[in-house]
Amino acid sequence: MFRLAVKMTVARTGRLILTSLAVILGTAFLSGTFVFRDTINQTFDRLFADVFRDVNAYVRSTTFLELDFGGEQRAATPISLLSVVRSVEGVTSATGDIQAFARVIGKDGEPLGSEGNGPPTFGSIASADSVGLWSVSEGRLPIGPTELILDQATATNGKFVVGDTVRVVAVRGSREFTMVGIANYGDISSPGGATFALFDQPTASEFLLQPGFVDAILVEGDDSVSDEQLTQRIDAALADDLKLETLTGAEITAEVQGQIKNVLSIFSTFLIVFSYIALGIGAFVIYNVFSITAAQRMRENALLRAIGASRRQVSRVLLIESTAMGVVGSLIGFGVGILLSQLLSALLKATGFAVPSRGLAISMSAFVNTFVAGVLVTILAAWLPARRAGRVPPLAALRDTALDTAGNLTRRIIIGLTIMALGGVGLVSGMRDAPIQVLGLGVLGMFTGILVLGPAIARPVALTLGIPIAKLRGPSGVMARQNAARNPKRTSRTAAPVLLGVALVTAFTALAASIRSEIRDTFGNAFSGDIALTVDARGFGGIPLSITDQIADLDGVAQVTGVGFTSVRLSDPNEPPALTQAGAGQRGVFVQTINPATITGLFDLGVTEGDLTSLGKDGIFVAADRATEKGWGIGTRLQVTRIDGAVIDAEIRGFVSGETSFANYVASREMFADTPSPIFDAFVYIKVAEGSAVDEVQTRIAAITSDVGIGTLLSKEQFIDEQAAQINQILALIYGMLALSIIIAIVGIVITLLLSVFERRREIGLLRAVGMSKSQVRTTVRWESVITSLLGAVSGVVLGVVMGFVVVAALDDEGNIAFKVPINETLSIVLIAFVLGVIAAIYPAWRATRVNIVEAIATT
Amino acid sequence: MSIFPPTAAETTTAGTIAAHAVSASKIYVTGDSEVHALDGVDVSFEKGKFTAIMGPSGSGKSTLMHCVAGLDSLTTGSVFISDIDLSLLNDKQLTELRREKVGFIFQAFNLIPTLSAEENILLPLSLGRRKGDAVWIDRVIDTISLRDRLNHRPSELSGGQQQRVAIARALASQPAIIFADEPTGNLDSKTGSEVLTFMRQAVTDLGQTIVMVTHDAVAASYADRIVFLADGKIAGEMFAPTAQKVLDYLKHLGE
Ligand SMILES: Nc1ncnc2c1ncn2[C@@H]1O[C@H](COP(=O)(O)OP(=O)(O)O)[C@@H](O)[C@H]1O
Ligand SMILES: [Mg+2]
Repeated sequence: MFRLAVKMTVARTGRLILTSLAVILGTAFLSGTFVFRDTINQTFDRLFADVFRDVNAYVRSTTFLELDFGGEQRAATPISLLSVVRSVEGVTSATGDIQAFARVIGKDGEPLGSEGNGPPTFGSIASADSVGLWSVSEGRLPIGPTELILDQATATNGKFVVGDTVRVVAVRGSREFTMVGIANYGDISSPGGATFALFDQPTASEFLLQPGFVDAILVEGDDSVSDEQLTQRIDAALADDLKLETLTGAEITAEVQGQIKNVLSIFSTFLIVFSYIALGIGAFVIYNVFSITAAQRMRENALLRAIGASRRQVSRVLLIESTAMGVVGSLIGFGVGILLSQLLSALLKATGFAVPSRGLAISMSAFVNTFVAGVLVTILAAWLPARRAGRVPPLAALRDTALDTAGNLTRRIIIGLTIMALGGVGLVSGMRDAPIQVLGLGVLGMFTGILVLGPAIARPVALTLGIPIAKLRGPSGVMARQNAARNPKRTSRTAAPVLLGVALVTAFTALAASIRSEIRDTFGNAFSGDIALTVDARGFGGIPLSITDQIADLDGVAQVTGVGFTSVRLSDPNEPPALTQAGAGQRGVFVQTINPATITGLFDLGVTEGDLTSLGKDGIFVAADRATEKGWGIGTRLQVTRIDGAVIDAEIRGFVSGETSFANYVASREMFADTPSPIFDAFVYIKVAEGSAVDEVQTRIAAITSDVGIGTLLSKEQFIDEQAAQINQILALIYGMLALSIIIAIVGIVITLLLSVFERRREIGLLRAVGMSKSQVRTTVRWESVITSLLGAVSGVVLGVVMGFVVVAALDDEGNIAFKVPINETLSIVLIAFVLGVIAAIYPAWRATRVNIVEAIATT
Repeated sequence: MSIFPPTAAETTTAGTIAAHAVSASKIYVTGDSEVHALDGVDVSFEKGKFTAIMGPSGSGKSTLMHCVAGLDSLTTGSVFISDIDLSLLNDKQLTELRREKVGFIFQAFNLIPTLSAEENILLPLSLGRRKGDAVWIDRVIDTISLRDRLNHRPSELSGGQQQRVAIARALASQPAIIFADEPTGNLDSKTGSEVLTFMRQAVTDLGQTIVMVTHDAVAASYADRIVFLADGKIAGEMFAPTAQKVLDYLKHLGE
């Protein structure tokens, strides 16, 4: 039987290639993302190993906060300890290290590196010590408060040469420096495309952090003892109450490598999840192709059965064939994926995140993952068609190939609707408080339901969609309409991938539209100023408070208030003390920092109880539902631990609704006035004095902000738009990922059409014989494709809107999020489906015109 | 409407010849071997006549029909329909020629399964976006007596009914000539004779021209004239045939 399978497989090279195409695409995306992730990880691994090459020990504070997304914020270390460290036996040199916010302003007055949407911008120390992380490639090291050097990439991008004056914005404001050199990080021009402004240690501490402090101390030993021993000696030399720890060079290298991996893993996990979705959709295409080919081979299989092959033997031939395709397709797909990973790197580079190239990382695990997933998915997809092929009665050898039928329609409709309803219930409870898996099951139920329903609705919907086409395109249109409806199972299986992609896009879009309009309402009501200054610094840096104060002094400004964020650790009086010893990191919470004296009347934080002016140094407001959840009331005392380790005994003095406060906790900026880790404003709200023109005042503010090169000035309308538009970034990412699925869906349509053309070549020959022109043949194939694609798009939109509605309804306890059907987006989706249908038909339509009439109508 | 205005030649041969082939040769090359499927065939088909083409299997009957009907091209020689030289036409013109001047009846798979009987009958007309002659079409439908089945799909019709629909389709556009390749090959003898009777009627009563390929002596006896092919060459012809005469002739041809 195996030999027979091999022979049959070889005899069908064309079909083999077609089926493999779906496998290849699905696995290519998967392997592409794996290789991409491994390559980046390897790149950074090698980079940091290189950078920390000379570091034998690393001293830093034990006090830190874990931030979201795997980051952390650590307390500063006094520079005075340098001499202590240097005096330890075995230490040859020690130097401070800082990585803080600093933004280089370009020669055109615009900051280098895109605000918010690019790699971070840093200020740091360039040290003469060999242990320093930077090496000067041109000029010399900076000395004193007026000199700096830049990393090679930033200098090149900003067209700065040694001797130029460079403006930099950091926590202490905006200053000009003379550029005296250019530096490389390890052996590359800049890590990950970040910009670096480098100063000598005293300047860096004062300008970037707090005079007398650094983030950490880098130590180089004389190699007389092991790094572990050196570390122990340094630890012993540092007093316990300093709350410092010493790491070996290997430890800090591993930690930094781990951190970057953490950050990247969010991104690559996202990619990989969507690649698996793409592979799943690919599985559907594979399933479809196997079903079609199995039907086309029914006679042949029946003949095998008639001459004595058992059911299992017939099924096995198909399974062996599918395994071969899975293996070959996955192998090719893995190769194509490697090329794809290069494309991803190029894309990343185009957005500014330059990834230094250090060779491809093709790991065994990436290969095994891709290969196993590809082969398994192919075999699974072939399972049902193979079983069905085995069940073909031997008598079928004598009959003509039967059209497929949708089976018992009523049963199909009842089962389909029931599964969908169950899915809907899962969706609703998933949105309430059931675990996330229930939500997943809900989505799965919705999709399974519509797939079961598919063959029942495919025929009527395809016929309806085809009415205008049949009217407009004459006999070719009539035939296209009939062809789309003639095999309802095939049509619905072909349209299914389109349906899945479109449903997801529509659901996300509908959800986003509703959230957007909700945000617009909320912010429209909350913000009563005229101008907003915003900065998207990704929780790193922002608008120095001094800028906010400068704006307040401007002519025509009636009121100004700044709002920022910082992280703190909170200890809950109602929970037992956390089981953490000193030094272990704890989860931080975001606190919104405000100026209580100026915020009232300008920005409504949604205070439900209490008076913001009562905040003072030790007051805190809490989002009402968070307080309820924790059982806190007015007067509850919370221990607030700042990043620098200072503990404040704070008291709850009021509640906010939480809708406009961006964070669950609100404190006065006074609480953080004396910290060495300074706070910034993220938003500055401005009200223009009566009698002053808004645009004049805006021009005056722009003079200050452009001088420091930070922030974006927005009118009230623009500000509201911008808040609402934030949801678009997430949406864009989701769209991009789903585009993968759409590509596979289109390939699925192409394959199905090719198989249909192959199957109908006699019919096409007959039509050509009785006078159908080539262009009419093309028209027929094209419109069949469009109808199939539209069938997927239209039912996808309907399903997506239903899911979006369910989700919005479930999200919205108080009934104030209005559900919005995204009309424009929906129309665009349908239009795109139309165009893609036309594109998918190009090659199959051409193949159809190549059908040889005489061969096609030959009766044998 | 027609892109084929009557030519001078057509006016001279009008009323006599519907189609003719001159030194028609067709050579198939497969690997190193050449097959002379047609080897210098000269033949003409008279208007208003029912002609049968007979010959042993592989003698080139289908090839001749395909080439004369404009479905395939000759290696050398020429073919005319209503005195239009087919070798001068491009694919688009050939398509329109088949649509307007030629009708086809094949052995099997004659109808488009997704179209109703009526849509199948009108197919060549609607492909050319033409209405056709309503009175004529009505008459054709009456002749094949399938009026009550017009809205049925081919799968709902018997084999004989399907062939009758195919004949109606071939007749609907009043083509210059109709080609039939073993139209009764898949039918039992009773249904087969029914179909042949309809074809005979189409010629006698409706004045159509039919060329039919067959290897069945009884089928051939419905024709006005039989052309015999052997090894790609014309081997003889017979007028006013009967089944017995044909069988005798074939026996003689085999010797
Ligand atoms: N496409 C082709 N390629 C090669 N040889 C062919 C092809 N079509 C027909 N032939 C050969 O041409 C000869 C005539 O075939 P055909 O016209 O089909 O004969 P008939 O219809 O009389 O049985 C046969 O020898 C056949 O094998
Ligand atoms: Mg033949």
